[in-house]
This record gives sequence, C-alpha cells and structure tokens, in this order.
Amino acid sequence: MNLKRLHWRRHLIIASAVVALVHGLTIWAVPRLIMDRIIALGSTDSTLERTNGVTLPPPTDHTQRRIVMPSPDLLYATCFFDLNEQPLRVTLSTNYPRYWSIALYSSSSDNFFVVNDRSAPDGHVDLTVVAPRHQAVTSTLQNGESRVVVAPTHRGMLLMRLLVNDDPGVRAAAELARRSLRCSR
Amino acid sequence: MGTLNPTRRVAYLAGLYLLAIVLGVGSAWLWLTRIGISGVDAGAWRVNLLAGSRDADAYTRARIALGAVLALDRSETLYYTTDHDDTGAPLRAECRYRIEGSPPPARWWSLTAYAADHFLFPNDAKRYSVSGESVTLDSAGRFRATIGPTSEGSQNDRSWIPTTGEGGMRLTLRLYGADEAVQRAPESLATPSIQRVGACS
Repeated sequence: MNLKRLHWRRHLIIASAVVALVHGLTIWAVPRLIMDRIIALGSTDSTLERTNGVTLPPPTDHTQRRIVMPSPDLLYATCFFDLNEQPLRVTLSTNYPRYWSIALYSSSSDNFFVVNDRSAPDGHVDLTVVAPRHQAVTSTLQNGESRVVVAPTHRGMLLMRLLVNDDPGVRAAAELARRSLRCSR
Repeated sequence: MGTLNPTRRVAYLAGLYLLAIVLGVGSAWLWLTRIGISGVDAGAWRVNLLAGSRDADAYTRARIALGAVLALDRSETLYYTTDHDDTGAPLRAECRYRIEGSPPPARWWSLTAYAADHFLFPNDAKRYSVSGESVTLDSAGRFRATIGPTSEGSQNDRSWIPTTGEGGMRLTLRLYGADEAVQRAPESLATPSIQRVGACS
C-alpha cells in the first residue's frame, strides 16, 4: 500500500513538471505559430498581387483582417523568405519623399534589421540576407556592393512600410516606390 | 488505490497527464490574454520597451505576437497603447471620448482606434486614425480629437475617428522617429488626455 502511494505521489510530481513544461512550450510556440500562419497565408493568398518576388497588399482598411492592429496610415509590401537553399537579395531604388522603412523579421517574430529613408538617404537599398550558417561567408560578401544581413532563423519575412495620406498624388508615389522593391534569389 | 485493476490505473494516469497538459496550455493562455502587457506608463498609456526587440523575453514576445505582431523596435517606432480613459474606466466603442494634447516630439505620429478584436472599426469614410497631418492645432499648439460613434463637430471632421457597435476599444499612439529624449525615457512623454464626453449610446 505504501509503495502504491509513493507511486502516485511520483506521478503527481511528474504531472506538475508536465504543467510547467507545457506552459513554457506554449509561450515559446505562440509567436512562432503566428509567424508561420502569417507566412503561410501571405505566401499562398491568390487574391494578393505579386511582382518581383514582392507581395503588394491593398491599402489598409477595416476589411484587412490578416494581421492585428494594422496601421491605416501606411502602405505595405512584403516578401517571405526561406534561406535554406539560397540567400535573399533585396533591392530598392526610390525617391519617395516621405517616411519609408524596410524591416526584417525572424520566424520567432523578432525585428532583426531595419533600414529607413534616413539611414538610406539616397533611396538606394541593396541587401543580401543569409542564413545563420552562412555567417562565415559574410566577410567576402561585405566587400561587394550588397550589404549582408545575417538572419537569426532560416524562415522569416520582410515588411516595407510607406507613410501615406489621403492625397492621391502621395498614394501614387508610394505605390511607385513599393513597386521598385525587389526580392530575388 | 490498492484495489485498482491495471486498466483503471492506466485510465487514471492518462487522465492525470491530460489534465496536466490542459493546465499547462490554459495557464499560458490566461497569462498571455488576461495579464496586461509589461512596460512603463505615461499617463493613461503604456509603452512596452521591448516590442519587436531581439532582447524581448519569451512572455513579451508572445504577448506582442498576439496583440501587435510585426512591431518595430523603439529606435524606429514607439507604440503607446491604452484600453482605459484618464479615470481608469475601460474604453467603450459606444462612448465618445475627447483626446487632447500636444503633438508628440517625433518625425510623425498617429492615433488609431481598434475594436476589442484588435482590428479597425468599419466605417464608410475609411477614417481610422488622426495624425499630425489631420489635426488642427489651437493657439497654444495643442490638438483635439474625438473618438466615438458621433462627432463633436461635423460628420466631415477630420479629427474624428468613428466607432461602431459595442464593446471594448484600444487606442494606439504611434511615434515614428521619436526624439532621442523620448526614446531614452518613453515614460517622460506628455501623452494625450482621454476624457469621456456625455452619455454612452
């Protein structure tokens, strides 16, 4: 009888450890699952326009329900990447006179790189995004024209933001600017 | 216990471990959805200093992913959010609020209203935010905006964000390219006041 009680006590201790482990795993998994969902939806949604490896979502309004808390003051462009096979080359050439930025996110949702209209005042961006295991080759690539960015994870996404307003001229210029973004292998 | 047959014993153990898994997932979910996001307060607003950052802890990263995924880090953008007014009362979509303050020191700022599901309120005019470009400053250099089902002025008031339906509401104040002093100490920002005006519809 005593042995059996000990047995149950042991299971209760193990079950408590399982509670803690599952709790931690859930917290760890939530951002990764959400990013997986965003990448999967964005990569396969046939209603979205794509050009030069870039997805061009429509201007933000209340019908946009893919990503929480969208900014209605921004026009977006996205690229999704998997660096397992090859690095990602990102280029942009624009004279858009308002705020814009290009941000890179890992598959765990961290923003690991950003460039904007102030850090690239000539409007020219040329990036080579490489996988973590390719870090050793960065010294050779850094000598070239393209700036090398080492991603912390193989999968992730690029998000370009352009500040717009109701002026049709501003919107047209922003549209032109996001269409100059290219994501290629 | 001593009389349990092997089948019943296995069933009890399976139940125990299933309960442990449910408790693990449930406690994580409650933690993420019921406990407010960490950060520093500025008036009625809260700003998380690690949003979008690689230095974020696992809880912050998970909460940001649920409520504001794809945030930028604070060197690029500061996000002040609130779901209550200056008195501490929860913001409601069926109530009207007056927002007043000085333009935040940043290259560009905007104030957006979100429904309880963290998406924009539907409205035909597609008016979801006010910004430094849409508000008018008074002689003291301060702005005033209205958020609610009806405007304090005309229906074409550019400083009015229409809300629809009933339920909770969240406001987000975005500062792109905030001045360095605010980046260093986001709690020092003189944030806009939020006051309920009149009765709720």
